[in-house]
Amino acid sequence: MIWIEGHLVSVGPGGVYGERILQGCRVWDPKRSKLAALYYLGTELELGPDHRVLYLGAANGTTVSHVADYTEVVYSVEVAPRPMQDLLVVAGSRKNIIPILADAGRPDLYRPLVEEVDLIYQDVASPRQVSILLGNICFLKEGGTAVLMLKPRSIDVTRPPEDVFREAQTEIEEGGLRILDRVLLSPYYPDHLAFLCRRD
Amino acid sequence: MESYWFGDVEGRACEPAPGDPGLLAERIELLAGSGDACIPDWRIAVRCGALRDRAEYLERLRDAAFILAEKNLGRILQADHSGLIQMVRMLDQLDEVINLLTERSVEWHRATHPGFSRKRTLPADRTLIALIRQDADETLTGLLDEIERLRGQRSLLMKQVSRRAEEVLPNCSALAGGLVAARLAAEAGGIRELAVMPAASIQVLGAKTALFSHLSTGTPPPKHGIVYQHGRVHGARRENRGRVARTLSAKLAIAARIDYYRKCADTEFLLKAADAVRRAGRRE
Repeated sequence: MIWIEGHLVSVGPGGVYGERILQGCRVWDPKRSKLAALYYLGTELELGPDHRVLYLGAANGTTVSHVADYTEVVYSVEVAPRPMQDLLVVAGSRKNIIPILADAGRPDLYRPLVEEVDLIYQDVASPRQVSILLGNICFLKEGGTAVLMLKPRSIDVTRPPEDVFREAQTEIEEGGLRILDRVLLSPYYPDHLAFLCRRD
Repeated sequence: MESYWFGDVEGRACEPAPGDPGLLAERIELLAGSGDACIPDWRIAVRCGALRDRAEYLERLRDAAFILAEKNLGRILQADHSGLIQMVRMLDQLDEVINLLTERSVEWHRATHPGFSRKRTLPADRTLIALIRQDADETLTGLLDEIERLRGQRSLLMKQVSRRAEEVLPNCSALAGGLVAARLAAEAGGIRELAVMPAASIQVLGAKTALFSHLSTGTPPPKHGIVYQHGRVHGARRENRGRVARTLSAKLAIAARIDYYRKCADTEFLLKAADAVRRAGRRE
């Protein structure tokens, strides 16, 4: 990962969402992207130029654009039509974003498009967050990494986040993934937990 | 045989798919629908000669994915008629703006004309704005012209909303009028959302404040929301109004379902429904 004067940056065509430019590089703001927050808090996850990524919950393409700067190709799945309109504009200026308008909970609908990937990044805030990730494991190659941004508030607001975390952890492990690391995203995102998992 | 987006592969032999992105998009859709598609691998595509290299693989796939996404986007936006919803919201906001500007103009006029009072009754053929315009200065006259123009746009838009609603929601519009039907759909959040809504919810659509104040503090429940705008509801006697609103919403719930799923007017149902609403208003 590239850091300039303590700022995480990525190299690519700028002006995607009015991001700051530092010495010709795009500043990747941890307040606007959970993945950037994860890097600020320290993680062993690395993005490389030969990485293929499946990005679930691509939204407006803010984080997607940064991930695409670092990697070979990003398959970006988003279900909502309005963010998709923005995502198409972002993907239009980059050769390595493949936009997919589909529900991440129905991987069968985009199966013909997506190849085996090195990294699955799951940022869909849904009550079925964990099972959505597990449903997409078929795209992850052996030894590949999965990142889950868990938002306990969208699973069940009434329960304490710790319970939800624990339950999610069991579900992930039963789904066949090994958990490498857990990172709380506070202070950037209170009550969010990033799971770093590996498929063995 | 294994089917991929770039072609059909049988052992070492390959039948490459046509290279046109539009045709590829259609192929991908078919494959996705069939449910037995394989996860693609670019090396297979190159090995069997469908594509030259990795770069070509990604380029073709990206172009096809773009077309597919745009196509699906168009389909979704059309299916939920979000255009109609936006028109209704624009209409409501136009009302707000026109009222605000009119109100401000009157205040301004009052400040400069000590003899002016709103209490003075207006001649039947004069609007308040026309009255102020008589002795307004140049700037205010210009603004009043703009307000008049907005009013003109508003009535154009209103007619358009009703026309679109009669196309999209033929049954609801026949029962409640195009404008009320469109407003209900906008408040529900969409045509589909209206179609899956229970009648009791339709009855209080647009009476959010009253409904939640009822739920939290136990004030009397609202009898009607947007359906109040229907002549049979606000024209009914006070003690009958709740019943008329209830009957009308029950019929509207059925009408919305016919509109969404069958997409055509059902005259027999409409006659019966209109009759039921009429009877609800007459009973003592």
